[in-house]
Amino acid sequence: MKPENAIEVRDLKKSFKVYFDKGNSLKEKAIHKKRNRYEIREVLKGISFEVKKGEAIGLIGHNGCGKSTTLKLLTKIIYPDSGSIDMCGRVSSLIELGAGFHPDMSGRENIYTNAAIFGLSKKEIDERLDDIIRFSELEEYIDNPVRTYSSGMYMRLAFSVAINVNAEILLIDEILAVGDVNFQEKCFDKLKDIKRAGTTIVIVSHSLDQVERICDRSYWIDEGEIRAEGDPISVHEAYLTAMNQSMQERLEKEDAEVMEQHKKLGQARLMPVFCSDIAERKGTFDVEFSDIKALNSIGEKKRTFHSGEAVRLRFAYKNPNHVPQANIKFSLYRDDGILVYENNYEFATGKVLDLKDEGEVNVEFPTFGYAKGTYLLNAVMYPPGGGEVFDEINNVFKITVFSEERAMGVYLLENHWEEA
Amino acid sequence: MSSLKEIYNYRQMIFSLVKKELRGRYKGSVLGFLWTFINPLLQLIVYTLVFSVIMRSGIEKYYLFLFVALVPWIFFSSALTSGANCILASQDLVKKIYFPREVLPIANTTSTFVNMLLSFVVVFVVLIVTGFGVNPVACLFLPIIMIIEYFICLGICMLFSALTVYLRDLQSILSIIAMAWQFLTPVMYGQDMVEEALSAHPFLMTVWNYNPTTPIINAYREILYYKQIPDMSNMGTAVILGVVVCLLGWFVFGKLQKGFAEEL
Repeated sequence: MKPENAIEVRDLKKSFKVYFDKGNSLKEKAIHKKRNRYEIREVLKGISFEVKKGEAIGLIGHNGCGKSTTLKLLTKIIYPDSGSIDMCGRVSSLIELGAGFHPDMSGRENIYTNAAIFGLSKKEIDERLDDIIRFSELEEYIDNPVRTYSSGMYMRLAFSVAINVNAEILLIDEILAVGDVNFQEKCFDKLKDIKRAGTTIVIVSHSLDQVERICDRSYWIDEGEIRAEGDPISVHEAYLTAMNQSMQERLEKEDAEVMEQHKKLGQARLMPVFCSDIAERKGTFDVEFSDIKALNSIGEKKRTFHSGEAVRLRFAYKNPNHVPQANIKFSLYRDDGILVYENNYEFATGKVLDLKDEGEVNVEFPTFGYAKGTYLLNAVMYPPGGGEVFDEINNVFKITVFSEERAMGVYLLENHWEEA
Repeated sequence: MSSLKEIYNYRQMIFSLVKKELRGRYKGSVLGFLWTFINPLLQLIVYTLVFSVIMRSGIEKYYLFLFVALVPWIFFSSALTSGANCILASQDLVKKIYFPREVLPIANTTSTFVNMLLSFVVVFVVLIVTGFGVNPVACLFLPIIMIIEYFICLGICMLFSALTVYLRDLQSILSIIAMAWQFLTPVMYGQDMVEEALSAHPFLMTVWNYNPTTPIINAYREILYYKQIPDMSNMGTAVILGVVVCLLGWFVFGKLQKGFAEEL
């Protein structure tokens, strides 16, 4: 092991047996041979990395990529099939907070129990007790039983114990979602202090900006292998692009499957095939929508768009009863119910739509700049002066927007920053 | 050696687990901690009723003869039955946190050991109040035999707690094993009765003597009931069997513990 390194991991491999239906008892093991069938799933396919003393690294990747397994191997909760892990110094893990908390015991007693699980002696705990209590901000409640705590207080206490262990290597799994915003900031500051004091930190997180704020380097783990390594910002950009790509492909495939299903069901379904299965429709149907589509700049039918792309909504109608005039209105809602945009033909053009027997109305968005997320489309056709609606479809389909942009909000406003 | 050192570093965890176990055991019950004393006393009454009133054994002061062996036996049998459960009972910890796994059987055995020590307070009270008396010199050997028993129990607890993780049936089988083991150890009868019965079968007698609990129980009885300094060859056997059982448990546990988190 190189003297400047705190962690050296060489060619780590780990497989799990995934039982289809596991029997743990003697009877089940003996009689149901079939039940003991399992498949071996290779979670880590040879991972190697080195972490220097005092360095902080982040492990990122989608669910099931093996990053948490890597962390569990580092903590020695599980053991690798092959490969080696060398670590130098006391290891503390913030994987499971509040381990061994007893609800009936007071906060103070639980500090002792919990810290003991991290391998601290009574003397060491005594020395840290004041720091732990101060950090948790629970001075007034520290002698009350833990069962009377709110979940936020509980996590604050647990985090305070874990962070005050003073380990040389700190392993963290997705736990910085503790307490309110102020406390999270405090945890972050504490982590930075710890890092400044020379502690080596390994963080597993889905929150890329947490990793960027703390870590010097980032590893992107994909299918049990390291796919990219280096400065967090650039690794994360590559990661996000790939994630968007694969999600887009998946959504399009799902979409195609749903369409296929609708076609098969054919007449059995009241909803026309262009609608999603969560659509709701009502009206007199004197005039009705015959098709609604979202198209990209080259006219391909899409349900997923990259933020800023050109999008065209096409509303096709048929008018068997020769209704002379109508108005078409559409609305876009974000999936949490916020109306993000609504407009109608009259507002947009200043005139009434004269209907043909069959026709189309197109709405063009040169830059569809919504932030990443899922949006739902509603469409209505109604008489210009008001009255009973002809055709109203809610949740016609979902439009998913992707973006590598990390700015937040509903709409990605164009903006430029400079130092004055 | 490094693992022993690591366990030593985790001594505070052992201590707090023992404390939690002792405090938590009778939480919410009316008599609370008194159950530690009442339980062996009730068992004593039942056995005495059966063996000195209904099935007369002919042993003088049978209740004392039984009591001095029953208390250490209860220690052993709870190390076997409750101890086997100790990894499963703490599976949340085992799955999520690293600590030397040996901590769990050590804490479990220690808390049952502390319970036995408390029961011995009752034993001494009974011995003195009834005027039976104690031999202070012989009693000097009591701590030694207790420590040997502690290590046997630890070995047994490690062995079965590790096996139970992989084979949950053991939990149900163990209560039967514990009962059979009790009848095959001179708890309710004396070693002399066995020697008499097996005098024609020296091989069976040898097998009998390899039961690790036999020399232990015999030693307790020699010290407290016969008020003698225990037989040294008997003590020697106890030490050897203690070391063997403890090492066996340690070794098996060490082999199996790597898979705990995955198996649970």
